[in-house]
Amino acid sequence: MTRETQTTPAATTRVQRLGPGEVSVDIRTPDLEVNFGPQHPATHGVMRILMRADGELVTGAQPHLGYLHRCAEKIGENVEWLQYLPYTDRYDYLASMNNNLGYSLAVEALLGVEIPRRATLIRIICAELNRIGSHLVAFGTYGLDIGAFTPFLYTFREREWMMALFEKICGARLTYSYIRIGGLFNDAPPGWFEEVGRFCDVFEQKWQEYVDLLLVNQIYVKRTANIGIISREMALDFGLTGPMVRGSGIDWDLRRDMPYMCYDEIWRSGAFKIPVARGEMGALGDCWDRSWVRVMEMIESIKIVRWCLDNMVEGPVIADIPKTLKVPVGEAYVGIENPRGELGHYVVSDGGKVSIRTRVRGPSFCNLAVLEDILPGSLVGDAIAIIGSTDIVVGETDR
Amino acid sequence: MDFQGIHDRLVAIGAPGLLGVDLPRKPDPKNKKDKGRAGDAFALVDAHKLADFLEVCRDDDRLKFEQLVDLSATDPAKDAAELWINVQLLSLKFRHRLAIKCLLPKSAPSLPSTVRVYRASQWHERECAEMFGITFVGHPDPRNILLPDDWVGSPMRKDYEFPKEYHGISCE
Repeated sequence: MTRETQTTPAATTRVQRLGPGEVSVDIRTPDLEVNFGPQHPATHGVMRILMRADGELVTGAQPHLGYLHRCAEKIGENVEWLQYLPYTDRYDYLASMNNNLGYSLAVEALLGVEIPRRATLIRIICAELNRIGSHLVAFGTYGLDIGAFTPFLYTFREREWMMALFEKICGARLTYSYIRIGGLFNDAPPGWFEEVGRFCDVFEQKWQEYVDLLLVNQIYVKRTANIGIISREMALDFGLTGPMVRGSGIDWDLRRDMPYMCYDEIWRSGAFKIPVARGEMGALGDCWDRSWVRVMEMIESIKIVRWCLDNMVEGPVIADIPKTLKVPVGEAYVGIENPRGELGHYVVSDGGKVSIRTRVRGPSFCNLAVLEDILPGSLVGDAIAIIGSTDIVVGETDR
Repeated sequence: MDFQGIHDRLVAIGAPGLLGVDLPRKPDPKNKKDKGRAGDAFALVDAHKLADFLEVCRDDDRLKFEQLVDLSATDPAKDAAELWINVQLLSLKFRHRLAIKCLLPKSAPSLPSTVRVYRASQWHERECAEMFGITFVGHPDPRNILLPDDWVGSPMRKDYEFPKEYHGISCE
């Protein structure tokens, strides 16, 4: 739906004769307001961006959120600590394991319980597998947004296996509630670790196909390089995190720099690296750099999963946690590295069964704010590519 | 740097608005009613000087808080006299965090906007404003962000009453 804005002056055309048979025509069209969304497949959910366009040039962009607002934070103040866990699944529904983990770690910070080693390792396996699944969606649908249909089918094929693995371990395919306060819901079924190992073997081969098929494909590179550039300063100022900040050439990852669980041990063993964009195909911080970071992170996650499989121990998977949990008086903020950036939970307890405040700092919400700045000046056709490269999940921006 | 080191530095450079600290503590064994407090340490800051305080935190050579990670509010109880403003700062260079807490009277919940220091706080402040009824003076774009423009009340306040109907739709 488009309409002409009331404020712009009427269209004017200026013709200038440059010489015999040569004319320069400066056509000024009235500004158009273009409603992008809320029901548009490239917004990856229900989000509306009000774009102002002068011909093909975007001159203003205003994201409108809230279509999926479900009062997650208010619900957190009305249900018991353990009951809130399924709600965490529903903000970033592509990375539910990571959401469960973030909330559990925040509450555990107040409880001060020790998590069994086996539970920690399985938590990391699940979080990293889910990171792969989330990046597969991000990468596949990004290709779909800009016109490459086929890679999407391949990425969803691998994601299907990942979801089947999660189905075996907890029974759900999307909203797991598997990682819970104190440890895990249950132990892995027999043969599960072997299958995860097989998944890693197959995925490494398939991953090379994505790189060859899409990431370094000339059409893809031409479509994504040198657009939507986010400078280093802008990335810091807007509080961007995750692949968005690494895509701008900033070497920052909470798993290494502020380690939680046993990520520092894995890092010290040299098992994984942090991919940081170098601006190989164009300016540093463009859309291609961000998608490169996501693709490279998938293979690093595989390495972390392998390390955990090699170092797996026997033992219990949940600490001694009562059914009706009372959390000690206190307040804690815990941020973890989600596929989209830092997921922060700030929880406040007065010693009772229900929390006083459950604040969720969603990475998508913060990463989206930068659109207001990077969309103006780009072409309307590139707008889709820029929005896709921020990889937002609307369930999390709106919570 | 740990929290103590950051606090010492803030005192040394005379950070504007720094009122004190809120540290976690163990329960007092003599007093059975005292349950202590678990969790993080906070720097208590005067809400009206928050923006200046953040500016110092961002620019100081030894602190270098390049990012504002989160800005939110808390309504601790229905009968509480004050709201809390919670800010999380992060330094990528020195790998440390700082949690800031400001107390804001419920009778006049207003403080200067911090957008001029960190643009990250632009959307956080908008969310805070609509959910808690806090006014951020000088905010460049003070519209609602998650709620509809015509929403009445501040939903995250503890004394919020749920509406009976919205545009003719019954909510009961």
